[in-house]
Amino acid sequence: MIRDITIGQYYPGKSVLHNLDPRAKLIATFWLIVVIFLCKSFFSLGLIALTAVAAAALSRVPAKMMLKSLKPIVIILVFTAVLNVLYTEGGKVYFEFWNIAVTEKGVNTAIFTMIRIVSLVIISSLLTYTTTPTILTDGLERILSPLKVFKIKVHTLAMMMTLALRFIPTLIEEIDRIMNAQKARGADLESGGIIQRAKALVPIFIPLMVSSFRRAYELAFAMTCRCYTGGEGRTRMKQMKLGIRDVVAFLFCAAITAGVIVLNHFFEAVI
Amino acid sequence: MSFAIETVGLTHYYSKGTVQQVAAINDVNLQIEKGELIGIIGHTGSGKSTLISHFNGLLKPDSGKILVDGVDIWKDKETLKQSRFKVGLCFQYPEYQLFEETVYKDIAFGPKNMKLSEAEIKERVLRAAAFVGVKPEHLDKSPFDLSGGEKRRVAIAGVMSMEPEVLIFDEPAAGLDPKGRKDLVELIKEYRKQTGSTVIIVSHSMEDIAGMADRIIVMNNSSVAMQGSVDEVYSRGDELRAMGLNVPEITEIFSKLRAKGIDVPANVYTVEQGTAILRNLIERRSAE
Repeated sequence: MIRDITIGQYYPGKSVLHNLDPRAKLIATFWLIVVIFLCKSFFSLGLIALTAVAAAALSRVPAKMMLKSLKPIVIILVFTAVLNVLYTEGGKVYFEFWNIAVTEKGVNTAIFTMIRIVSLVIISSLLTYTTTPTILTDGLERILSPLKVFKIKVHTLAMMMTLALRFIPTLIEEIDRIMNAQKARGADLESGGIIQRAKALVPIFIPLMVSSFRRAYELAFAMTCRCYTGGEGRTRMKQMKLGIRDVVAFLFCAAITAGVIVLNHFFEAVI
Repeated sequence: MSFAIETVGLTHYYSKGTVQQVAAINDVNLQIEKGELIGIIGHTGSGKSTLISHFNGLLKPDSGKILVDGVDIWKDKETLKQSRFKVGLCFQYPEYQLFEETVYKDIAFGPKNMKLSEAEIKERVLRAAAFVGVKPEHLDKSPFDLSGGEKRRVAIAGVMSMEPEVLIFDEPAAGLDPKGRKDLVELIKEYRKQTGSTVIIVSHSMEDIAGMADRIIVMNNSSVAMQGSVDEVYSRGDELRAMGLNVPEITEIFSKLRAKGIDVPANVYTVEQGTAILRNLIERRSAE
C-alpha cells in the first residue's frame, strides 16, 4: 500500500554522530565534501574514503541501510566509469579497437571518480541518517540566520520546510483515503494508456488539492491562535549549544584536511 | 440461496513481513443475508474499517475468502471489478471525495464507470439526487459551493447512484448535528425500505444503530466478539463496557430505573421508545 513508503531516511539511534549539534554536522558534512574535491592522489582519496567508512561505522547505521542509499547511484557510477575509461587517454594502452583506446590513465580516473562519488554519497547520507528532518531545518535556520541582513526571511523559509516535511505522511494518508473512495465508485486507476491514466488521476488530485488548502488555512489559523507571528523575538525550548564533541568534530575535519593536503603534495596526482 | 456477503476465515495483517506485523482482522467468519440491515460496532482500532474494506475488494485478505453473492471476489479481475459495483462503500466524511465541476457530474461518476448508457445514467443520477434530497437547481452547481451537510448528501448520492446490492456506510453521521443525524438515519431506513437492498452501517453511535439494525456485529481485538439481535447484544451491557463500548444512554437510564424497582422494560434503545413508555407510566400513576 502507498502508506508503506518511507519519507526521509532518519535512522533512530544514540551514536556520537546522532548527538552532534546539527549545525556542526551540516558544516562538517559540507567541509568534508569540499575536501573530497581537493583530493588529487589515490592516497588522499583513500584517507577520505576511510574517514567515510569509519564515520558510517561510528553512526551504527546498519550496513544494509547504507548500501540501500548507494543503490540509486549505481547507474551514475557505471555511466561515469564507462565514460572515463573510454574518453580519457594517457599512459600505458591496455587495448584498442577502432579509435577507442583503454588506457592506464582512463582506468585510474574511472576508479578515482567512483571512489569519490561513493564517499560523497556516504558522507552526505550520514547527515540525513543521523539527523531528523526537523532538527536539520532548525540547524539550517541557525546557520543561515546571518542572511537576515539581506532581508531574507530565513525563519519563514525554515518553518515552511519543517511544515512541508511534517505534512508528507498526512498527505500520503489522505491520498490513500481518496483513492479508496474513488476506487469504491469504480474508478480505474491501473489500466489504459498514459492519457487515460493521467485523466484517472483527476478524481484523486482535485480532492487532494481542496483538502490541502483547507488544512493550510486551518493550520495558519491554529498557529495564529497560539500567537505565532514569525521568527522575530522567538525563543526555543531546546537551545542548540555547541559542545566539546562538536569542537572535536571540527578538529577532526581540520586534521583530515591537513592530511589530504600533505598526501596530495607527496604522491602522484591522478587527475 | 447464497448470502449477500460471506467471509470465511478472513485475516488481514498490517505491516506484513516486518517486526510490527499485527493482525487487523483475524479469522472473521460472517454471513450477511440479503436484505438485512447490519450494524457493526467496535472501538477505534477494532478492525471495523479494515473489515468493510474487504467487502468490495479494496483490501486483499492475507488468508481466507470473501464471497459476494456466493462468488469469491478475488477469483479474477472482472469479478473484482464487478464487486465494486455490487457492494457500494460510502466512506467516513464522503464529502472529501467530491471533485467534479457540477453536482450532477459527480453523482454520475460511479454509473459512468459502470459503462451504462447516457439515458440510464441520467435516470439514476436524478433518482439518487431526489432520494437524498439534493435540490434540482443544485445539480448544475459546483459541489464545492454547497454547505457541509449538502455536500455529504451529494457524496452519498454518488454511491447510491450505482444502485449496489449491498450498501455500506462507514460512520455516516460523523460530524453532523443532531438534526442532520436524525435525517440521515431516516434516509438510510427509507432507502432500505424502497430498494430492499442489504445495508451495513459502521458506527460508534449506539442509539443510531439500535434504532434501525436487524442484527449487530460487535468487533473487538480484530475479531467478531458478539453478534445477534439488538436485544441480545445490548442485554450484555457489562461485556460491551469491558470492550470500551457502551449501551445507549436511554437503555442505561431504564436499567437504573429497574434497579430502583420501577416496572419498566429492559429493552429500550431509543429516546422515542423511552419517552413513550415513561409517559404511559406517568399517566397510569396519576390515574391511580
